[in-house]
Amino acid sequence: MINLISASLIQIIFVLLIAPFAVGAVRFVKARLQGRKGASPFIPYFTLLTLLKKEMVISNATSWIFRVVPFMVLGSAILLACIVPLLFTGSIVGSLSDFLVISGVLVFGSIFLVMGGLDTGSAFGGMGSSREMTIAALLEPIIIMTFSTMSFVTNSSTIDGMLQSQINFLEPYAMLFIVALIFISLAENARYPVDNPATHLELTMVHEAMILEYSGKYLAFLEYASAIKLTVFSFLIANFIFPSTLLEASSLTVGAVLLILILGVIKVIVVMFGLGLLESLLVKMRFYRMSEYFSIAFVVSFLAMVVAIFSVSSDVALQYYILFSLLTLIFVVLLFGRVRLKAILRYYALSSMAIAGIALGLLPLVSPEEKNHLWLFAVFTIVTKVWAVPFVINRIGHVKKSLTNLSSFMRPGKSYFAAVMILIMIYFTLKNISIEGLTEWNTLLFTAVTLIVLGIAMMILKRNIFSQIVGLLIIENGIAVFVLATVGSLPIIIEFGIFAVTVATAYILAILSAQISELYGSTDTEDLRELVE
Amino acid sequence: MNPIILSIPFLLAATGSAILKTKKGVQINNIFFTILSGLVLITQTLPFVFHLKEKQFGHWWMIDSFSALIVILISFVYATSVLVAIRYIGHEYEEKIINLHQYKIFFTLFQLFVLSMVVTVLTNNSLLMWLALEGTTLFSTFLVGLYRKKTSIEAAWKYMILCSTGISLGLVGILLLSYGAHVAGVKSDEIFLINSLMENSSVIPENIIKLSFIFLFIGFGTKVGLVPMHTWLPDAHSKAPSPVSAIFSAVLLNVALYAILRFKFIVDSAFLDSGWTDKLFLVFGFLSVIFSALMMLIQINYKRMLAYSSIEHMGLILFSLGLSPMGATFAVMHMIGHTFAKSSLFFASGEILIKWKTTKIPKIKNMLSQSKYTSILFILGILAIVAMPNSALFVSEYGMFSQVITQYPKTAMALFVALGVIAYAMLSLTINMIFAKEDNGGLKNKDEKWNITHTIISLELLVLLALVLWFTSSYGIKVIDAIVRDFLFIK
Repeated sequence: MINLISASLIQIIFVLLIAPFAVGAVRFVKARLQGRKGASPFIPYFTLLTLLKKEMVISNATSWIFRVVPFMVLGSAILLACIVPLLFTGSIVGSLSDFLVISGVLVFGSIFLVMGGLDTGSAFGGMGSSREMTIAALLEPIIIMTFSTMSFVTNSSTIDGMLQSQINFLEPYAMLFIVALIFISLAENARYPVDNPATHLELTMVHEAMILEYSGKYLAFLEYASAIKLTVFSFLIANFIFPSTLLEASSLTVGAVLLILILGVIKVIVVMFGLGLLESLLVKMRFYRMSEYFSIAFVVSFLAMVVAIFSVSSDVALQYYILFSLLTLIFVVLLFGRVRLKAILRYYALSSMAIAGIALGLLPLVSPEEKNHLWLFAVFTIVTKVWAVPFVINRIGHVKKSLTNLSSFMRPGKSYFAAVMILIMIYFTLKNISIEGLTEWNTLLFTAVTLIVLGIAMMILKRNIFSQIVGLLIIENGIAVFVLATVGSLPIIIEFGIFAVTVATAYILAILSAQISELYGSTDTEDLRELVE
Repeated sequence: MNPIILSIPFLLAATGSAILKTKKGVQINNIFFTILSGLVLITQTLPFVFHLKEKQFGHWWMIDSFSALIVILISFVYATSVLVAIRYIGHEYEEKIINLHQYKIFFTLFQLFVLSMVVTVLTNNSLLMWLALEGTTLFSTFLVGLYRKKTSIEAAWKYMILCSTGISLGLVGILLLSYGAHVAGVKSDEIFLINSLMENSSVIPENIIKLSFIFLFIGFGTKVGLVPMHTWLPDAHSKAPSPVSAIFSAVLLNVALYAILRFKFIVDSAFLDSGWTDKLFLVFGFLSVIFSALMMLIQINYKRMLAYSSIEHMGLILFSLGLSPMGATFAVMHMIGHTFAKSSLFFASGEILIKWKTTKIPKIKNMLSQSKYTSILFILGILAIVAMPNSALFVSEYGMFSQVITQYPKTAMALFVALGVIAYAMLSLTINMIFAKEDNGGLKNKDEKWNITHTIISLELLVLLALVLWFTSSYGIKVIDAIVRDFLFIK
C-alpha cells in the first residue's frame, strides 16, 4: 500500500518538476534546427518564477470566473498527471485512468480556458475561444475512437490496463493507434500544425489568444498547466511505443525507481526532439483546413479500429507484406481526399513504394526460384511507378499552372469517408466469396480488390482528367498486387511489357490531357461535352 | 514460319515512316511494305483456313483456322486502308489540315497498331494477348486524336480511358484463370498458355472460372463495343480519319471478340456445356442490337450512323454465337461479310468528308450530281449492310433468323423489328443525302474523278457478291463449319 501511494507521489512530483524543462527542450531543439543558438532549455523555470513574482493586472470588466480559471486549468492538468500512468503501472489511482475520464478531464480544462477567454469580453479572447471550441469538438470523437481501439484489443478501458497488456507497437493497429495519438497530442497541446505556440499574431493564435488577458501568477499557472499537459502526452506516446519501460507500482525499489526516472528524462528529451523536428518541418495549417487535418486523424484512428477488429477476430499473425499492403491502402485513401496534383502524385508514389515493399515482404515465404521474380518486380515497380510515371505526369502538369488543383464532386472529408466505406464494404463482400486457395493471401486479395475499386471510384467521383489518369494508375497498381496474390510471378518479358504499358499509358494520357487543357481551357471532364448524341 | 518474321515488314514500315523525310518517301515505303506484309500474311495463313494445314501451336504462338481467318481479314482491310489512307491522309496534308510530322506519325502508329492486332490473334500466351490488345489501344489513341481539334481529342480521351480500364479488368480475368490452373496443379510455365488452359480446363475450380470469365467478358467486351460499355465507340469511330474508322470497325472489334471467344472455349469445355456463356452472349448481343436501333433513329451524322451500325452488327454476331452450334456458322459468315461491307462504307464516307467537309447529314444535298461514283458506291454499301438480298450479310442474317425463330420466337420478333428500324433509318438518311435536290449555289458541278478509293470499294462490294455464292455452296458451309469447330466448344 505504501508502495502504491509513494509511486503516485513520485510520479506527480517528477512530472511537476520536469514539465518546464519539456517546454524549454522543444524550444531549444527548434532553435538549433533552425540555425539559432537558442535559450537554455531550463529557461522556463525562471520564466515561471519571474511570473509568480510579478504583479497581476486584472480588467474591471471581468467576473469571478476569470479568477477561478487558472486554478481549474492547473488543477485539471495536475489531475491528469496524477491519474495517467506515466512512470508506474498499477498505481493506486490507475483504475481512474479510464480513457473517458481522461477525455472528460481534458474537456473540463479546455472549457474553463474558453470561459476565461470569453470573460474579459475582448475580441481576441472570444476569437480564440471560438476556435478552441471548434477544435475540441472535432477532436473529441477522434480521442474516443482512438482509445476505444486499444481498449477493444486489450479488453480494458483504462490506460493503465492498456499499458499493462504490453502490446507490441509493430502490430499494424498499434502503429495506426500511435499515429492517431500523435495527431491528437499535437491538436490537444496547441502545437504545429494546429496552432502556433510561439506567436501572438491574431490570425494564427488559438491557445495564446485565450490567455492573452492573464498576467503575473495566473499566467504562470496557465503556462505551467500547458507544460504539464505537454509532458503528460509525450509520456503517453513514449509509453505506448515502449510499454515495457514502465514499472509495476507494487514492486518498488530504490534502484528501479532511479532507473525509471532516468528513463523518464530520456523519454522527455527524445519526444521533445521529435516534436521540435516535426515543428521545424511543418507549417501551421490555415484554420479552415483544420477539417482536413481532423479528417485524416479520424481516418487513421478508424482504420486502426478496423484493423484491430480484423486482427483480433481473424487471428492473423503479423507479416511484413500485410503491413505493407495496409500502407498501400492508407496512402491511396489519403490520396483520395487530396486536391493538389503534386500531393496526389506523391501519395501515388508512396503507395507504389509500399507495393514494392509487399513484394520484398513476400520474399521469405516463397520458393527460391520465385525470389528473383519478386526482386525484379520490386525494382521494376520502383523504377516505373515511383519514379517514371509521376515524373511524366508532373512534367506535363507543370506546364499548366492551372492544373495543380483538381476539382472533385466531393470535399476531402466526404472523399475519405467514401474511401473508408469502400474498404469496409469490400472486406465484407470478400468474406462471403471464397476462392479456393486464396485464403492464405487474403490480405493481398483485399488490397488488390480495394485498389481496383478505389481506382474506379476515383475515376467516377472526381471530375478532373488528371484524377482519371491517377484512377487508372491505381487500378493498375491493384492488378499488380493481384498478380502477387494469385500467380505470384509472371514471365519476365510479360512483366516488363506490363510495366512498359503502364508508363506508356501515363505518357499518352498526359499528352492528351495537355492537349485537352490547351483546347478546352480547363481540365474538368464535365466540359468534355462536344460529343453527345 | 515463325510469326516473328512476319512482324519484320511492319516494323520496317513503321521505322521507315518515322525516319524518312519526305511525304513521297513515306508513301512509297508504306505501299511497298504494306503490300508485302499483306501478301505474306495472306499466303501464310490461307492454307490454315481451308484446313490444308493443321493447327500449330508452341510456347508463344498458335495458329488455327479461326485465327488464320481473322488474320486474313486483318491483312485485307489493312492493305486496302493503307492505300486509302495514302489518298485520304495525303489529301489532308495538301489541304494543310495536318503537317508532315503528323503525317509520319500517322503511318508509324498505323503499322504498329495493325502489328499488335496480328499478334493478338496469333499468340498462344494469354498475357501476350492482353499486352497486344492493350497495345492496339495505346497505338491507336493518337490515330483517333490525329486532328488537334476539340472533338478528336475528346474522342481519343474517352477511347483511351474506357478501353484501358476495360482491358485492365480483362487482365484480372486472365490472372484469375491462370491462378485457377495453378491451384489445379498445372505446370507453372503453362498456366498462361491458351491451349494448355483449354486442355486442363476441367480441373480448374468452377467458381474461379465463372468469376474470371465475367471479368474477361466485361473487360474485352468494352473493346468489342457491347452496349453498356460502348460509349467510346461512336465517338472514336466518328472522329478518327476514315481509314482508321474502317479498320476499327471492320477488324479491331472482331479481334477483341476473338479474344473473348478463346476464353469462351475454355469455360465451355470446363463445364462441358456452353449454356452459361451462351446466355451472356445472348443478353449482351440482344441489348446491343436494340440499343443501336434506338440510337440510329436520331442520328444526323453519317459516320456516327455507321458506328452505331457496327455496334448493331457486333451485337448480331454475339447473339448468333450464343445460338451454338448452328448459329455460330452464320456468325462467322456475318463477321466476314461485315468486315468487307463496313470497311467499304467507311472508305466511302471518307470520300464524302473530303468533298463536303462535314459529317452532318442535313448539310449534304445533291450528292448524286456532285459526286456520282461515291454516292452510287455508298448507297450500294448501305444496301449491303442492311442485308438486302444478294449481299453476303443477307445469307448470314437469314440463317441466323432461321435459328432464332426456332429457339426464341419472341426475341426473334423484337430483333426483326430492330433490324427493320435500322434499315429504315440508314436508308432514309442516305437517300436524303444522295437524292435530295436543293439549290445550293455554293458548290460548282465539278465532275468527280474515279480514284483508288472507288476501285477498292467496288472490289469489296464484288467480294461481298462473290461471298454469297461461296456461303451458299456446300463447300463453303463445310469450310466455315470446320472453322467453327476450331474455336467453339461443341458437345
